[in-house]
Amino acid sequence: MLTDITIGQFFPGNSLLHRLDPRIKLVLTLFYIVLVFVPQNWLGLLIAVAFLIVALACSRLPARLILRSLKPTVPIILLTAIINLFYVAGDVLWSWWIFTITYQGVTTAVFIAIRLLCLIAGSSLLTYTTSPTTLTDAMERLLKPLKWLHINIHELAMMMTIALRFIPTLIEETDQIMSAQKARGADMESGGLMQRVRALVPVLIPLFVSAFRRAIDLAMAMECRCYHGGKGRTRMKQLHMQARDYMSLAVAALVLAGIILLNIYIPATI
Amino acid sequence: MSLLETRDLVYTYAPRTPFEKTALKQVSVAIEEGELVGVIGHTGSGKSTLIQHLNGLLRPTAGQVLLDGKDIWEEPKKIRAVRFAVGMVFQYPEHQLFEETVYKDIAFGPKNQGLSEEKIDSRVREAAKAVELSDDLLEKSPFELSGGQKRRVAIAGVMAMRPRILILDEPTAGLDPRGRDRVLRLIRQYRDAHNTTVILVSHSMEDVARIADRVLVMNGGEVAMLDTAANVFSRGEELTEMGLSVPAVTRIWMELRKRGLDVGENVYTVAQAAERLLPLLKGGDARVD
Amino acid sequence: MEMLRTENLRFQYEYEEEAPTLVLDDLNLTIEEGSFVALLGHNGSGKSTLAKHFNAIQLPTGGRVLVRDMDTADESLCLKIRQTVGMVLQNPDNQLVSTIVEEDVAFGPENLGIPPAEIAQRVTDALQLVGMEAYRDHAPHKLSGGQKQRVAIAGILAMQPDCLVLDEPTAMLDPQGRKEVLETVRRLNRERGMTVVLITHYMEEAAQADRVVVMDDGHILRDGTPKEVFACVEELRAVALDVPQPTELCHLLRKAGIDLPSDVLTVEECVDALLKYKGVGE
Repeated sequence: MLTDITIGQFFPGNSLLHRLDPRIKLVLTLFYIVLVFVPQNWLGLLIAVAFLIVALACSRLPARLILRSLKPTVPIILLTAIINLFYVAGDVLWSWWIFTITYQGVTTAVFIAIRLLCLIAGSSLLTYTTSPTTLTDAMERLLKPLKWLHINIHELAMMMTIALRFIPTLIEETDQIMSAQKARGADMESGGLMQRVRALVPVLIPLFVSAFRRAIDLAMAMECRCYHGGKGRTRMKQLHMQARDYMSLAVAALVLAGIILLNIYIPATI
Repeated sequence: MSLLETRDLVYTYAPRTPFEKTALKQVSVAIEEGELVGVIGHTGSGKSTLIQHLNGLLRPTAGQVLLDGKDIWEEPKKIRAVRFAVGMVFQYPEHQLFEETVYKDIAFGPKNQGLSEEKIDSRVREAAKAVELSDDLLEKSPFELSGGQKRRVAIAGVMAMRPRILILDEPTAGLDPRGRDRVLRLIRQYRDAHNTTVILVSHSMEDVARIADRVLVMNGGEVAMLDTAANVFSRGEELTEMGLSVPAVTRIWMELRKRGLDVGENVYTVAQAAERLLPLLKGGDARVD
Repeated sequence: MEMLRTENLRFQYEYEEEAPTLVLDDLNLTIEEGSFVALLGHNGSGKSTLAKHFNAIQLPTGGRVLVRDMDTADESLCLKIRQTVGMVLQNPDNQLVSTIVEEDVAFGPENLGIPPAEIAQRVTDALQLVGMEAYRDHAPHKLSGGQKQRVAIAGILAMQPDCLVLDEPTAMLDPQGRKEVLETVRRLNRERGMTVVLITHYMEEAAQADRVVVMDDGHILRDGTPKEVFACVEELRAVALDVPQPTELCHLLRKAGIDLPSDVLTVEECVDALLKYKGVGE
């Protein structure tokens, strides 16, 4: 069912990771995305994976959740891995017709698959432990300097908050509309590609109509609650950097430094 | 043999996860041809889960759903045929309208059934008539209509498939009293005209009391009662214990009896109550204990 | 003291250029501070449009609307007016902005520029008032309908309004949720002196108000105590409204010549009246 999608969901908690300053978490996630692409040898990659596992442990979330977040991305990762598997030149392991698999190809494919999995798991960890509003709040504060470029950061952040708020609602609604159309005999499980695309029309149109209706309602509700843009707006939750925030930044920096050192001292695997 | 029957129906949401929840526990009910069954129960009682099994939208974890004595999941590929036989009007069905015109929207179901153009046309017109939509509305966009009209279009969309069993989930939710009365009257009329079996899910005891022949009460994923409306509402105390509210007239009856006025067997509509009270009040022959 | 007042209020939609119909037609209504008023009328009678005039969401085409003597047409008073008259809408899903209950409740005060420490206090108070403090950290989409609607009410209360306008807040709820919301609203009126304007289709809810205003076709058709208004059974029927079942029963019996009072509203009153007529239990 559609309701199984967990990307972008937040699981409230009180762990170390939950309590970290959201700005730091955001920076750390970007940092981690870079970090995953730095290692050029197995040991470095192992450290990157270990870093993720430690972070997961700090979040006190069940590992199963992370695995579930990875599931929808498996096809993309497999595709990337397969392309690498066949296109990297090197010592031939197996060859048939135009297909050739090399030792280097296998290594690269595995390496890249692990990198991508780490990347997705790492970013999921961010959304799992940070409420979307806090996250957009952090983004708004981090991007404040962009005001210089006349970009209205507050509005962007507000839009994101609302989008995140309504994702679960709209997913649930999609489920309901699909059931209703199925009950009227709509066939969404068989037929060719075009037929399936056409079968989506009775689902998409009501969904859009409903999204607009909700948007109109919401706009009115926000006006009723005195929303008038970002001007003069205060926030209930204040962000203060604490010792644990500086600590985690320091740890991340150390890990990156370590991986870079390993890159220099150990010959590259890929 | 009953028209529609469930045997020891069990349904578990998200099995083998921490969110696992058994929504139906060994539910066995039998619905007879041509009857109008009201289904009541509070949110989470399993009533919605139950009706979604009746037309094959959900597949039982255990147990069976039998239509004409045949398991509907015997050939899973033919489940669409079951959905045509058991029509389902969901909650707020107007949210599923999508076509350019009211006509086309009502025709969506019959078209999926693979009927001929002429047949579709007669079905659409017949269904529109059944819900009292005038011909000039048929060429309008469904999105231009009022809330009550949209609701009737959506109901017509399922009626046009001429299901043998028509299931309606809260068909009066969110309507004003005029719209509510109209929808209930139309459902009743349709049943009488076509002898279609109707299953009506509702939070409103008053609605159910007004039109149902039999009432199914769900509680905690189990069947608490399945009996004639009179018998179900005579168990007012039990219903109240389940967190369900009985119609106000039934409460008046229960109270009168408690205070020593012998008013006879339970009533559940205002008209019944007035009819029963008149001789009592006029003639003065009520027995007082 | 007077909370809300409309003076010859007229309203029509601008886009209906040819043959515009008046949604509100020369409407005069005064609502006293601390009162609990139920607003009835079938769909299209103009009651929702009227409600939207109470907090300057919609502005009059003619006449004026005063909130504590502030004219809603004065743009500079807009925020003050919306803070004074809070509005709760029908669909609880569509009025919650945030993914966490407490952050949602904080939304109003944040817009008003209240200092952070005070917002936190207001959020706590508001959640306590609606009995939702245990759900502070929860995600709104996982709550029941009644709970969501109570969070929506808390979001309004956090702005510390003097008047609460609720536009069919119970229409989409199950009986349990309806009870929760109505009890919350009644408590706010009784214990906090909050002025309440409740739009509803449920006559049992309207019967609990101090005053019932019936609208039809942009006019006020009836205005009085629930007993006075519901006594006019035929008139209400004519505008497609219901009356509570006990009232209807007594009305039917009266028509048949039984001398019962015309102002019966509740089950208890009905039972008492019937037993009194019969001469039992006195």
